[in-house]
Amino acid sequence: MSEPAAGAQHDRWARLPARLRPRDTELQGAGNVRLIETTLLLLIALALAIATINDDARQVGINHRLIADLRTWRTYTGHDYKNVGVEQQLFGISSTRDVTCGNTSRGAPDSHAQICLIIDGPTRGGTRQVLGGWYVPPYVQHNDYRYRYGCFGPAARGLCAR
Amino acid sequence: MSVAVESERLPAGVRSERRQAALASLLGALLLAALLEIAIDAASGHSPLIPRSPDTDGWLKGVGEHLGFRIFLIALLVSCGAYAGLLALAARAGAVAISKRFAIWLIGLIHLILFVGPVLLSTDVFSYIAYARMGVVHGINPYTHGPLSIVGDPIFHDVGSDWVRTATAYGPIYTLLSYPLALLGVAGALWAMKLWASLASIATLILVWRCARIRGLEPMFALLAVALNPLYYIYGLGGAHNDLIMLAAMMFAVSLTLVARPGSRREGEAAAVIVAGALVKATLGVLLPFMIVSRRRLAPVVGTLVAIAAGALIGFIAFGIHGIDIVAALNRDAALVSTDSFANEIAHLFGKPGVFPVDHDLLKAGLVIVFVHLLWRTWRGYDWIAASGWTLLAISVTSTWLLAWYTLWPLPLAVISRDRRLLVATLAVQGLFVIHQLSPLLAPVQ
Repeated sequence: MSEPAAGAQHDRWARLPARLRPRDTELQGAGNVRLIETTLLLLIALALAIATINDDARQVGINHRLIADLRTWRTYTGHDYKNVGVEQQLFGISSTRDVTCGNTSRGAPDSHAQICLIIDGPTRGGTRQVLGGWYVPPYVQHNDYRYRYGCFGPAARGLCAR
Repeated sequence: MSVAVESERLPAGVRSERRQAALASLLGALLLAALLEIAIDAASGHSPLIPRSPDTDGWLKGVGEHLGFRIFLIALLVSCGAYAGLLALAARAGAVAISKRFAIWLIGLIHLILFVGPVLLSTDVFSYIAYARMGVVHGINPYTHGPLSIVGDPIFHDVGSDWVRTATAYGPIYTLLSYPLALLGVAGALWAMKLWASLASIATLILVWRCARIRGLEPMFALLAVALNPLYYIYGLGGAHNDLIMLAAMMFAVSLTLVARPGSRREGEAAAVIVAGALVKATLGVLLPFMIVSRRRLAPVVGTLVAIAAGALIGFIAFGIHGIDIVAALNRDAALVSTDSFANEIAHLFGKPGVFPVDHDLLKAGLVIVFVHLLWRTWRGYDWIAASGWTLLAISVTSTWLLAWYTLWPLPLAVISRDRRLLVATLAVQGLFVIHQLSPLLAPVQ
């Protein structure tokens, strides 16, 4: 415990019931409180550990998908470009359906028309299945419905504005 | 005489001591090697882990290779392992295995490497310099404008892109202390910031040693638990964070209360130091209710009020009403969400994309319950230093904006607390933080 307050100070609290009065040191009977606190702490620690490991596993899954999506885009388009973007939450946080976009011809990121691929399914041979896609003009938001054109494949049906 | 024969003649206790000292040296060497690897590779630049920075470490360039997530995380894990080993040795054998001289050398070398090396893992120090230059060089109030108002300044491009529109959230005392550094130029200010962080860290460590000794705890264990903590030196000191100044103020205040006679002026001074620390970084203010409830005397209350009045006056004169509106800055920061926060992890666990506004309210309510419970426990005789540590830990766990150096706040209090659960809980939270960083190691993205 930290250093006790002076005993004379206690007089001013004498009117309070004993269980409400301030104390310089804890009562011996504080063991029950400690036990409850420790139990709660262990439960919180367990919850945090589960959440952390779950988030790690989720992130590892996302990274694996990311690697496969980039490879799929490069294989499908035949362009070995570095700046390829992957959107993993367009179809919801629990969906494994990702949208991967990159330039249709060589140049700075977004400086040319983009081809976006809808990619889903398990990874086989380092790639996943392309279910469709669309194009967007240079320098616009890849996934903005208004700019999409030339939708192709079953998964992109109805996803283009023009 | 052969070494084997000489060894056999030594008493078993001496042989064991030598083995422990050798193990401590090995673990210390591992820790330094991991840090050197990080610092040298970081200096080569072009790493997603290392912020763009004024060229203060050019002489290290070309020595190492590009610092990727893999190397960094392996070095971090090695550091954590060495730290755990050294703590176990210090707990078991204390000064037998780890001499004072060894500890001072090890801690000194860590500080030296980080002082001469590049800024690690955060752009915050460039924001500090930007705010100082806004005030001194450009005459702009850093409490009303973000660094975007000094686009032409050489420090602007080093400020993190997320923060260019953000006015300073730090206290007026810190901002005023940083102003003279703006006169040193960008590189000079960076060196000065690093020097400040190093000096604040050394002051914190000396005070940790002193407080542990006063409280009858093993000071070597307390010192090593803070100084060799990888999050403390890689993230905190490596990023030259002003949290270290806050920690130094915290430990100074605690050390004053430990030697203060009941009702003496020192108790008031301790409260004033906490207020001054809170005017560097507001978080420190949570210590005050616990100190006041524990002391139940006039001196800390008077010290608090006088310091608040003086700080508010200085802040108002220097920066106007915005300079003392700490609540607005706290509210703004509380709305942010970082990927490493436990709140975000729990949201993912329940299938949510992230933290919703209602979650912020629930977390605040949880924090208030913890605070009231600890205040009541302190009233009934629980150690106010431990209660403060628990509150700082609760703040970092419930914060939706959790960064590595926030987990350092309770650490110096945990090592001088007699409630060992606090140290275990603090290290467990830090351990979970480190585990959460490891996904690039398991699935590296090219």
